[in-house]
Amino acid sequence: MGKLRLGHICEAVFWLALAAFLYIESFEFDRGIEIYKFGATGWPRALLLLVAVAAIGQFLFQFVAGDKATSGTVGAATDDGAEEAARQSGHSHFRWYVSTFCLLILPFLYMRAHDLTGLFLELDKEGVHTVKLIAAPVLLALYLLLARGNHVGAILTLPLFFAALLEDLGFYSMAPLFIVGVTLLMGERRPQWIALTAALIMGVLLFTFVSLLYVGLPTGNISPFYDLSHWIVTLIQ
Amino acid sequence: MDPFGNFINGTVTLFSDPLGILIFFGGVVGGMLFGAIPGVSMLTLAAILLPFTAHLSAEHGIMLFSVIYCTGVYGGAITAILFNIPGAPENAPTAFDGYPMTRNGQAGKAVGAAVMCSAIGGTVSAVIMMAATAPIANWAISAFGPPEIFALVFFGLAVAATVGARTLWKGWLSILLGLMIAVVGMDPVGGIERYDFDMPYLLAGIHFIPTILGFFAVSEIFVQAERKATGVYEAPKLSVNFPSVAELIAHKFAVVRSIVIGFFCGILPGIGATLAAFMGYNEAVRWSKDRKAFGTGKLEGVISSETANNAATGAAMIPLLALGLPGGALTAMMVGVFQMHDMEPGPLVFLNSPDLVWVVFAAMFFANLSILLVGFLETKTIINLLRIPFQFLAPLILLLATVGAYAVRGLVIDVVVMFIAGVAGFFLRRSGYSVAGIVLGLILGKIGEQTFAQAMQMLHFEWTGFFNRPIAALLIVAALLTIVGSIYSAFFRKDRQ
Repeated sequence: MGKLRLGHICEAVFWLALAAFLYIESFEFDRGIEIYKFGATGWPRALLLLVAVAAIGQFLFQFVAGDKATSGTVGAATDDGAEEAARQSGHSHFRWYVSTFCLLILPFLYMRAHDLTGLFLELDKEGVHTVKLIAAPVLLALYLLLARGNHVGAILTLPLFFAALLEDLGFYSMAPLFIVGVTLLMGERRPQWIALTAALIMGVLLFTFVSLLYVGLPTGNISPFYDLSHWIVTLIQ
Repeated sequence: MDPFGNFINGTVTLFSDPLGILIFFGGVVGGMLFGAIPGVSMLTLAAILLPFTAHLSAEHGIMLFSVIYCTGVYGGAITAILFNIPGAPENAPTAFDGYPMTRNGQAGKAVGAAVMCSAIGGTVSAVIMMAATAPIANWAISAFGPPEIFALVFFGLAVAATVGARTLWKGWLSILLGLMIAVVGMDPVGGIERYDFDMPYLLAGIHFIPTILGFFAVSEIFVQAERKATGVYEAPKLSVNFPSVAELIAHKFAVVRSIVIGFFCGILPGIGATLAAFMGYNEAVRWSKDRKAFGTGKLEGVISSETANNAATGAAMIPLLALGLPGGALTAMMVGVFQMHDMEPGPLVFLNSPDLVWVVFAAMFFANLSILLVGFLETKTIINLLRIPFQFLAPLILLLATVGAYAVRGLVIDVVVMFIAGVAGFFLRRSGYSVAGIVLGLILGKIGEQTFAQAMQMLHFEWTGFFNRPIAALLIVAALLTIVGSIYSAFFRKDRQ
């Protein structure tokens, strides 16, 4: 096995599987272009071939040299703290990855909640909203449950949850909760500081972007969040 | 009239108009601030201001955007240095040495060098732009057809593969990932949808602003959060010691070399400041006797990258004004400003609106000079952002990035894409991949494929045609030598870390 680790094999499998998947997908648009003999697939397929070559090259290098850096490369990755943080945290075992994956999938389940429910029930617009209003707290409760054993996974998932909820519940309702969530996850426990941070950040953002620059932020589309957003915008502008 | 006389006229017009002065200083401060606030960028500001320019005169609108361009490129260096979050892709190589300098307690020195070198690069570039816009534009357009531009993109990517990743292979995989992301959407020749997975959003491709914010700003927050969660987080050390004059003079060759590289890249449509910064940085490494020090906090790295990207700003105006060809996202928005006022950028602008051209030139010259004055004052204050505890800074940066991603197109899905890129960037960085390489691939992917297709059509699909064109041949040979050299170095040199 040379100096290979399980992570190296997973890495190679990931790149080769990605290249294979995208190559198969390229048949979806494999149509000729009269004036261009390589067609729409020539460029992406050439890139995918190079991805496969580079992935095999990387695998062989890791077989010989393990995690060492190659000579002649310079720059951030070896020195920006990301690899060092990963090493020191010990978050590189299989169980951690599985647990993180389970957390990361939750926001996507919310985004597709109406499609999944639609498999069993016929939903109109109101029905979709109802499903989303039920799915949000259920999935958030599941998130809190899973997050207890995986702090970093929780940090990675929270912004995705926030983004997933923006479309339906709006920036104005979700942003203060998001600030509180991030501040708590970063280790702040003093309630007065958390409240002050949320108030200050929201104040600065709303004044600068909504009041001064007239940037329309997501208002959501489910009542009462939608109504609340409009009330805030009217108040500020 | 001679260029100097025109410049004086432009300066007088600029500073005798109170509204013009207000817009000029608004642009200087706005560009620097939006460039320097982690999570948003000069492009966010430009996107927000675009509709407002309809209410301004064409002169004021274009001038505002050109000033934002000059100062925003500099402003992005501050976040790159202080937080490892480049304000724009052209500041990515600045972070390679700038951020390690901050971690070593030399933030002031790095920011000071960025101020000086941005001002020098930008001012020299503005002077050359004023002196020779028309001949340079004509030369660039006659000497650089699609084969040459493709060859330059190829060379740039070959150079970038050795920068930022743990191994050469990971460098290439990073760039190829960026190139593959750029494939999503319509193909540039036949308009055929690729990898849209039946999602209408993907038909227009993945926008680079949310992707950049995700890979840089969001992933950096995640990396720092992991350090904090595991108790190994160290707050960056604060320092306001600027570099000495002797230190800057010691790097005079790096400055001159980066000005040449930056200006050359800037005049080529679609290439612009990003490749300029990468090439400026890489040439600094290539010419250095102490290559191993790069990436660990070497002042020359910051100097080379920042001089080159600001030198590209003046040059980027040349194809825009003389030929109507935008070189990047911000210059493309300037085309929008022209069109809002029923004008088309191109040779006729010089004939029909010489006042506009020279006011813009004068504004760019003074905007670059003002980087020196305002930049030092701003640095003294903005460096204090490092004092804010991370638990309070993190939500602010994440929400600013959310607004920045959303403001570009008004789509929530862009925010989702940004956070997905952030998570992907977190995992890729901890495995030794280069997010800067991914972003460079993403930015150059479209133009690379487009110019390759045009080149092959021009050359009747004969690959050897590239070697019948001296500049293209030179660049392709240089790229191949770079690749062979880096592979040789990766396999046969024994100084692995």
